[in-house]
Amino acid sequence: MAESDDLGRIVAGCKEGDGESFSQLVDIYAGRCYGYFYRLTGSKETSDDLLGELFVKLVEKIGRYRGGSFNGWLFKIASNVFHDYLRDKQRQKRLLDGRKEQLESEYGRRQEDDRADGLQTALWKLDTDTRELIMLRFYSQASFKEIAAMRSEPIGTTLSKVHRGLKKLRKLME
Amino acid sequence: MAANGQNGENLRELFGKFFGADESEEATEDIRKGERILDEHGAPEPDSELLADVKAEISRALLVRKSNAFRRGFYKTAAVAAVVIIAAVISVKLSDRGTSERREIATASVIPAAIWESDDIAVDDAELGTFVGEIEELEGDVLALELGENGGNGYEAIEELEVELEEIEGVFWKG
Repeated sequence: MAESDDLGRIVAGCKEGDGESFSQLVDIYAGRCYGYFYRLTGSKETSDDLLGELFVKLVEKIGRYRGGSFNGWLFKIASNVFHDYLRDKQRQKRLLDGRKEQLESEYGRRQEDDRADGLQTALWKLDTDTRELIMLRFYSQASFKEIAAMRSEPIGTTLSKVHRGLKKLRKLME
Repeated sequence: MAANGQNGENLRELFGKFFGADESEEATEDIRKGERILDEHGAPEPDSELLADVKAEISRALLVRKSNAFRRGFYKTAAVAAVVIIAAVISVKLSDRGTSERREIATASVIPAAIWESDDIAVDDAELGTFVGEIEELEGDVLALELGENGGNGYEAIEELEVELEEIEGVFWKG
């Protein structure tokens, strides 16, 4: 979405703590952010939780937004929310290692339920970083330059990873 | 063939900086086809119940933010007022003594920046509660000084105040 005057006004309202402005922001971005979380986790339940977390984080952090691409800024927070979730999941896995077999079986069943479409199955065959990068690119609609800045990596690296990832995804889908 | 990606960026030109003409053409086409697959396989949308829940969560978070801001403003005002009163009373008492003896009066920095910048409400509450207690104690001392309840020994009372202020500065606020 182009960063219009309307979006600027909505963001300014959010910075003043206006609930209606936040509500508008949810209407604009919830679909894309939900898609981003869903394609990365493969679970609707987890995506529900992460979407709520993202917008509460947004309330806390909106005062620190200093202009520039709001898209990029929002999806950077979304990416951090996803990484926090991954860390938490890994921690839980370590803690419950004794129940490994049981958990893996439950997790596998749940993933199978949620990865109903072919794209989700193909995405899970990509490595986590490539999958996240492709989803970040697609759902944030940010330019390669913005994404490279978000990930603090050279633009050539970003281009190359997205190119290889999408090419592999296409082959997996054929 | 479309060479423009999202945000109107020219992918062919972008790839051209890293690859030769043929390769950049091919890479642009790969990106375009890959993103078309993503377009064709839309992810589920959040349902209206979830959106309502998210908006309710935002309202709760905003309430917390507002009450937090109000409380901080209140304590800040109270703190500034208390320091002004204490400083004024000490100045009056010192000038009343009319001596050439000059002493340094200790002052306490009121609330450290860490509390204003902190987002940890539970810890802030505990610290600000202690802070209010300290202010009340100081106000009591100032009142005693004004009423001469210390037997007319203003110098001793000022010393006591200094000790309390030094404690606040040196021990309490620095943790």
